[in-house]
Amino acid sequence: MSIELDQVTKRYQGVPVVNDVSIEVAEGEFLVLLGPSGSGKSTLLRAIAGLTEIDRGRVSLHGRDVTHVSAREREVGFVFQHYALFRHMTIGENIEFALRVRRAKTAERRDRRKELLRLVALEGMDDRLPAQLSGGQQQRIAVARALAHRPKVLLMDEPFGALDAKIREELRRTIRQIQRELGISTILVTHDQEEAFALADRIGVMHQGRLLECGKPDDLYTRPATRFVSTFLGAANLLLGYRSKDGIRFSPPGNPTPATSTVQEIVTVLRPEEVELAAGSKELKSTFVGHARVEEVLFGGAVERLRVRMQDGGTVASAVKGAAASSDGTLIEVTRTLPEKRQLPVAPGQRVALGARRIHVLPTPVSSFSAVATVEEDCARIAAAPMLQALSTRMLTRINHRVEPALGQPPDGKPPKVLAPPGVAAVESGPGGAARVEWLLRHGALQVLCLDPERPVPARVVIHAASDAALRPTMAVASSLLRNLPAEAAFLDIQPLDLPEEARAVQLRHLLDARSEAAAVHGLDVRTELRFGDSATELSKELAAEDTALLIVGLPLASAADAWQRLRPLARLLDARGGDPVLIVRAAT
Amino acid sequence: MRRFRQPSILPGFGLTLGFTTFFLSAIVLIPLAALIIKGSTPSLGQLKEILLDPRAIASYRLSFGAAFLAATINALFGFIVAWTLVRYEFPGRRLVDALIDLPFALPTAVSGIALTAVFAPNGWLGQKLAEVGVQVAYTWIGVVVALTLIGLPFVVRSVQPALIEVQRDLEDAAETLGASPFQIFRRIILPAVLPALLTGFTLAFARGIGEYGSVVFISGNLPMKTEITPLLIVIKLEQFDYLAAAALGLAMLVMSFVMLFAINLVQAWGRRRHVAAGR
Repeated sequence: MSIELDQVTKRYQGVPVVNDVSIEVAEGEFLVLLGPSGSGKSTLLRAIAGLTEIDRGRVSLHGRDVTHVSAREREVGFVFQHYALFRHMTIGENIEFALRVRRAKTAERRDRRKELLRLVALEGMDDRLPAQLSGGQQQRIAVARALAHRPKVLLMDEPFGALDAKIREELRRTIRQIQRELGISTILVTHDQEEAFALADRIGVMHQGRLLECGKPDDLYTRPATRFVSTFLGAANLLLGYRSKDGIRFSPPGNPTPATSTVQEIVTVLRPEEVELAAGSKELKSTFVGHARVEEVLFGGAVERLRVRMQDGGTVASAVKGAAASSDGTLIEVTRTLPEKRQLPVAPGQRVALGARRIHVLPTPVSSFSAVATVEEDCARIAAAPMLQALSTRMLTRINHRVEPALGQPPDGKPPKVLAPPGVAAVESGPGGAARVEWLLRHGALQVLCLDPERPVPARVVIHAASDAALRPTMAVASSLLRNLPAEAAFLDIQPLDLPEEARAVQLRHLLDARSEAAAVHGLDVRTELRFGDSATELSKELAAEDTALLIVGLPLASAADAWQRLRPLARLLDARGGDPVLIVRAAT
Repeated sequence: MRRFRQPSILPGFGLTLGFTTFFLSAIVLIPLAALIIKGSTPSLGQLKEILLDPRAIASYRLSFGAAFLAATINALFGFIVAWTLVRYEFPGRRLVDALIDLPFALPTAVSGIALTAVFAPNGWLGQKLAEVGVQVAYTWIGVVVALTLIGLPFVVRSVQPALIEVQRDLEDAAETLGASPFQIFRRIILPAVLPALLTGFTLAFARGIGEYGSVVFISGNLPMKTEITPLLIVIKLEQFDYLAAAALGLAMLVMSFVMLFAINLVQAWGRRRHVAAGR
């Protein structure tokens, strides 16, 4: 591996701006780090170059650990957004700088200078000053200068950011060509997805300091694993679906029946270009999703852009995308090619049938949030909790209100008449908290969040699975949430004190397996700790600090009756007023 | 005049040029001309006698030498001060930044008296220095100290904007290219701020040559030893020897002008080197 990052973390004033990032870049590979501004991508790049020190983790270049090696000894080439050419030196002097500080011979310097100027197609510019060159030319010189000392790694921080569109494209081609020609491992940072698609062998998408996903451009586009990536790379309609034995439906299940009790709420991605419009459901060539009314038609040159609003109640897909969600149906974005447009011209107000040619199901286990309480006011209060607000905004999902007058009452022996809301059900902590959680679990909830609406967004996440069976779903939920919380995470494995020595070793291996699985399957890198003792005590100890920490606990539940038994060690945390938020993930056994 | 008539955002070129000429004449040129006329009245023999008087020569040496030394010290430490103010965030940074300008605002006599009080053999610092055998007040060192105080703001205020201009990117770039901190300083930072540093040096030097108020208190004014030329001129005036005063003033004027002009030429040459193609 030519560049290897292992759990790199960088904090600014206590806030992680790069959070547990691990990447490997192969020899000669072109990796593009893509993310919105403030996602930590530039900081990460500077950390690789040694221009920024990291707080935790390891950076290796060509198998050599350079974590504590200064930038000047890392032998990397770095290209800056604003060129950073030395204005008082000529182009030739700029290019020769790296060789001059290495005290290379004059002849060698001159040969290298000529070679590099040829490479960037700016021969004969040796004696000009940077100010006499255009922006595009200056950036070419900056690239040439960065390559002068034959670095094995080239790092570029938004190199086209300050250039206009046409020069940008030309320079993009030049850089791709040079990179191929030299076979140099390259990382380029950008916020422009078009640039990423044009250049990358692999794209890594960063958000809030975390590397969410990393993969081949077309894989990331067609099979994103996260909401963020699906909406950041291209446009996407996110719809809630309900998966059962019969397939995926877009209408929520009604009252509990044997069939609906196994329905799982899922998040699906429907790309605008995968939507088919037809006059009626019979004319559709693809899977019928529902009826919709055309709201807006925009002609966009090669494609036509439409917005349609989902209609007829029964088949309405619940909105996931924030602002577009409202009681009168979801807005869906559609793009059509001109031949498609010719076949069925539509006008605003027209009713059409909507089909999906291809639907991608996100592997995220957290689909939506519901605030559950006995009265509506409490629902609103819970829904306004900073943490829920932050999560729903960032996860592009909405918070439903659910009034359940019977919430928290002990079981009456009869089978439940209502189903707990799908997704994450949120209840208030404090007296009776444990009873409320238990009620929800008994009524089929898969994830229950118990929180004090007054507490701020957690700065830390503690993950714990009560059994090995619960490990996998817990990690899945945790990674899904962590992608959307700028928090540091630690996985806590707690074993009884009297565990024999050889069992401890086995347990440690389990733990490491869990970590590598989390990294491989969910792209989540967390700190892991093995503790010995009573789990309730150890967890309270971990949560004792002043800051707000979210505890994610995986509980294996064989049956509904099991719930109370399993919850008992946590009851103190759930019943405490103003305590830390606790998310219980139910693992089916 | 026609070819000067460039269309301009600010109208009234004729008016402003007229005002500039009048203002410069009334404030600068006419008094200087009077000085030149008055200074040239004595015969060549008289002039030689006045200007080459050993006391006068000693005063030139002290005036120009101390001003040069003080400007050099300021160039060095003023650079460090400017660097600290530009590059670091620390509590009280704004306060320190404001303090830099104090020598501008303070009446120079006040600075002189304050310095004398501190550096006199019985003063705070004077006592300590006397123990190691260094006497500051009433020696040429005192003159240098006074001129350093007076000149500091010139260097700091000239270098500060130039240092802000040197982007961090440039240093980072040099570092990734393998330059050591010293090489970064010598090849990147220094060339970028050198013109500003030279300007600051010139201003501090010029101010030092002309300084009177702060020096007279700390120097002790011993003829041949700690007497600066401006003071000698005042002494001649007090003796109603107007001729000698004017002649000495003229001599200072010529020497200052030659030196400042020389520094300006160096600066212009440096600028040309940066702009011209070639190395």
